[in-house]
Amino acid sequence: MRATDNQGSFLNRISIRRNQVVSMDGNHEQELEDLELFQKYVADRFSDLLSSSSDEAADSLLSVSWLRKLVDVFLCCEAEFKAVLIMGRDPSQVSKPPLDRLVPEFLDRVVKALDVCNAVSHGVESVRHYQKLAEIAVSAFEQRPIGDGQVRRAKKALNSLMLTLEEKEGSNHKSAERAWSFGRRGATNKDRAAAGQFRSLSWNMAKGWSAAKQIQAMSANLVAPRGAESSGLASPVYIMSTVTLFVMWALVAAIPCQERNGLSTHFPVPRQLGWAQSMVALQEKIAEEWKKKKEKTRLAGLLEETQKLERLGQSLIEFADSFHFPAEAARLDEMASQVSELADTCKKMEEGLVPLQQQIREVFHRLVRSRTEVLNVLDQVGKVSAPTM
Amino acid sequence: MGDFRSILPLCEGEQHVIAATQHLVKALGASKNLDDDLRKILSQLDSHLSAMTILSPESRGTGFREVEQQFKWAEEKIRGWESNQSLMWDSDPLEASEYLKAVVEIQTLVEGLPRLSMSGTRKQKELLNRAESILQTAMSRLEEELVHILVKHKQYFELGNMSFQYCGKDVVYDESFVSVEDMRIEEASQRNNSGNESVDCVPDLVHPQVIPHLKSIATVMFASSYDQEFCQAFISVRRDALEEYLVILKVEKFSIEDVLKMDWNCLNFEIQKWIRALNVIIRYLASEKRLCGQVFEDLGFLNPFCFVEISKVSLLHLLNFGDAIAMGTPEPQKLFRLLDMYEVVADNLLYIDTLFSEEAGTCVRIEFHQLLRRLADSARATLFTFGNAIAANASTSPVPRGEIHPLTRYVMNYIKTLPIYCSILNVLLKDQNAAASNPVAELENGLEVSSMAYCPMACHLRSITCILEAKLDSKSKLYKDCALQHIFLMNNYHYMVEKAKSPELKLFFGDEWIREHIVKFKQHATSYERATWSSALSLLRVGSAGSSSTSKTILKDKCRGFIIAFEEVYKSQTGWSIPDPKLREDLQISTSQKVVLAYRNFTGRNSADIGEKYIKYTTDDLEKYILDLFEGSPKSLQRSRSRRN
Repeated sequence: MRATDNQGSFLNRISIRRNQVVSMDGNHEQELEDLELFQKYVADRFSDLLSSSSDEAADSLLSVSWLRKLVDVFLCCEAEFKAVLIMGRDPSQVSKPPLDRLVPEFLDRVVKALDVCNAVSHGVESVRHYQKLAEIAVSAFEQRPIGDGQVRRAKKALNSLMLTLEEKEGSNHKSAERAWSFGRRGATNKDRAAAGQFRSLSWNMAKGWSAAKQIQAMSANLVAPRGAESSGLASPVYIMSTVTLFVMWALVAAIPCQERNGLSTHFPVPRQLGWAQSMVALQEKIAEEWKKKKEKTRLAGLLEETQKLERLGQSLIEFADSFHFPAEAARLDEMASQVSELADTCKKMEEGLVPLQQQIREVFHRLVRSRTEVLNVLDQVGKVSAPTM
Repeated sequence: MGDFRSILPLCEGEQHVIAATQHLVKALGASKNLDDDLRKILSQLDSHLSAMTILSPESRGTGFREVEQQFKWAEEKIRGWESNQSLMWDSDPLEASEYLKAVVEIQTLVEGLPRLSMSGTRKQKELLNRAESILQTAMSRLEEELVHILVKHKQYFELGNMSFQYCGKDVVYDESFVSVEDMRIEEASQRNNSGNESVDCVPDLVHPQVIPHLKSIATVMFASSYDQEFCQAFISVRRDALEEYLVILKVEKFSIEDVLKMDWNCLNFEIQKWIRALNVIIRYLASEKRLCGQVFEDLGFLNPFCFVEISKVSLLHLLNFGDAIAMGTPEPQKLFRLLDMYEVVADNLLYIDTLFSEEAGTCVRIEFHQLLRRLADSARATLFTFGNAIAANASTSPVPRGEIHPLTRYVMNYIKTLPIYCSILNVLLKDQNAAASNPVAELENGLEVSSMAYCPMACHLRSITCILEAKLDSKSKLYKDCALQHIFLMNNYHYMVEKAKSPELKLFFGDEWIREHIVKFKQHATSYERATWSSALSLLRVGSAGSSSTSKTILKDKCRGFIIAFEEVYKSQTGWSIPDPKLREDLQISTSQKVVLAYRNFTGRNSADIGEKYIKYTTDDLEKYILDLFEGSPKSLQRSRSRRN
């Protein structure tokens, strides 16, 4: 198919009436239909996500189960996208402007997304650590009759939890140093508790790697296609780039990640694009949450469950501080209801975090595969020239 | 000193159970077929049971005071250590076991107290509260002791040994460096690889002496339902140790983006470190799993869970680097490293499957299988890129002097390295070959042939040289001189044959291929002679015997014509080159035979007619001059001719 031939009539057709069959290349017809279907698909998925994120629903915004839905949406969109871009296409299309520039840019974003996946995956590991600490508190508080011993036990776990929740993002060097210096821990007795077993994982990314910068770089040169381009394959590439960016951004905001200082809250997505409306709405909601948090409380991420652990943990520490044996029945009831909420939260985490981690890993593998497939297409066209010997 | 068990009351039903159990134990103990261990356990159980039944109804009333006294003893023991900052097992293991005993006393109290007859009184509640509180203090302390013991007594693999065994691929492949000793070690390690886990050779990650301490802490903490704390502490310290070990192995953390941008030298270096690290870490993990087994032996099903928690993060890190490498653009130079990586993952896969056989480890297992597949894809793609790169090699200027093309050298030396990876390549190429039907293989199917020459790798090697031959044919066209085209092809084919005859490649190319290609370069030699000499030699061919009409002038012209032609050939072809001395000599001799013989016949028969003056060179001269051909340094006979004229 010659890309240049029908550009003019293409535009006309769109502006006049889409379904009217004008004398035109069958491929164009097909392509246009594909594009529309893809846009509709993306719009529908995100509008589902938006409607399920209302506070009353079981999967409230930024909860573990919501994130799992989000990742599912990503995987679905990605599969559709690949169908639009590759299947049944003349491979030479991707080697022509503007795709010859847009596709490599897209692949670049994919590579960045892979690193974000890894960082988030490690972040989930930290969240699981929060969960384990909260679980200790739950099992201590659930003992009856409750005495000083169990209250102290719970408080110790909760204090560790608060400490890890607040662990500074820049602390990766510090904790790395701490972990990797021989036998430092325990060398001085005073340090034992602080540097002890309750610290969270060290960040598992390369030195100097920053989630915020990565997101920033992914959104660089992401420009909505205009004019004739907007009806060609440039459009799905743009849409998929935006979906990838949004999903990665939301994950980074929700899950603790290495270096999130200055994570952008603004997205270069034009509101007027039909498919983007729900996404923009979600984006604004999350950005609102992000801004609401003080810097300190942001560190653990916006994950709903994490926020709950933090709130309940704080309140239960207060309970523990004022605890006197024997416990007053009224205070005990109040505590019990908070503990059961904490237990519920832990249960949700227990059920959802490992599957979420697996899904993120699946995203990783999917992106790797798709990248290879697109590269193969480019290779076929001879875009990637044979290496010199 | 008695213990709480004897004081704390038991309900009647329980007493019956105990009595029944005691009977059973006694009956079992009477059996003669018991091993010592079991006998010991039974006798311990018996004494425990007796202790439990000692209490009589009378003792119940006074029980509480005794309980309080017992408690005071245990509490003092635990409090006594509270202010003591030194670590128990370091300062005095006996003291430590006393401490543990005190903790067990408290535990028994906490469990038994609610059942005491006056349960529910304020005093009793307060005692329980105090007991739980002191138990918490003790647990907290034990947790610290646990962490301390794990940190202080951790051990690493002796890297000296490990590096010796496992980083040696390069060394082993380059035969010149291999000492017999290295080979044996390599073989030994290979055998360990494929064999099942032998516990004997798994080094300890924590000094064996402290394992009982760890176990006793675990037992006490689990008994008090502090298992979560124990596991968290244990996992955390061991996970750190593993991360630390990766640092010792110099495995650095790279983002995928970094790896994709990294230049080849760095990448090569990192890959080698990775290969070594993976080998070492998998063995390290065998030790780790054993440690988990030792510590959690009697404590339920936590062992695989803890082991996976300890190892997952570090393994994901290693996996990621592997994925990043497999994602890179396929470049021929990467092939060997990719094959090395493939090999190390393939070799360790069985190990990994065993280490992570439990459900908790499924994700790790799957990841490694996926990585292996990706590395295979990447290696395969690289191998085919190599063929494509040969075909795409474009150079517009011919190699000077008709010598061996750098491409020929590169390709042949490259494939000379491949047989080391024969078994891997056969696996990688097997499916490929099945898809594209191979006429050679089909042809040979019925015949009994050396299987080596028809394995997938051998077929692939020949397909690569086939691409090379086509490329060389087209490159020969860059020479304007047809004779030089043949010299070029002869040189290059000869080079290929020589390489194919090397011990590494001989079996894979097979006699048939070698024979065919010897014929090929010989044909080019013949063609060269024809192209260069046929016209010149035709001048020396005097007409049939009856042609007495051949005039002297014509003979003189022919002679002069030949000499000019010879001088021209001399001038150009002394500048050509046949680098192989034997091949050069053969061609010189064969040329000499033809040219000198014809010249001798011609001059011998016609010297009278031509005249000495026109016979410029003797046959000896010609013979000598022909030896100057193909030496690669242009010479000229022109000057001597002009002088003689």
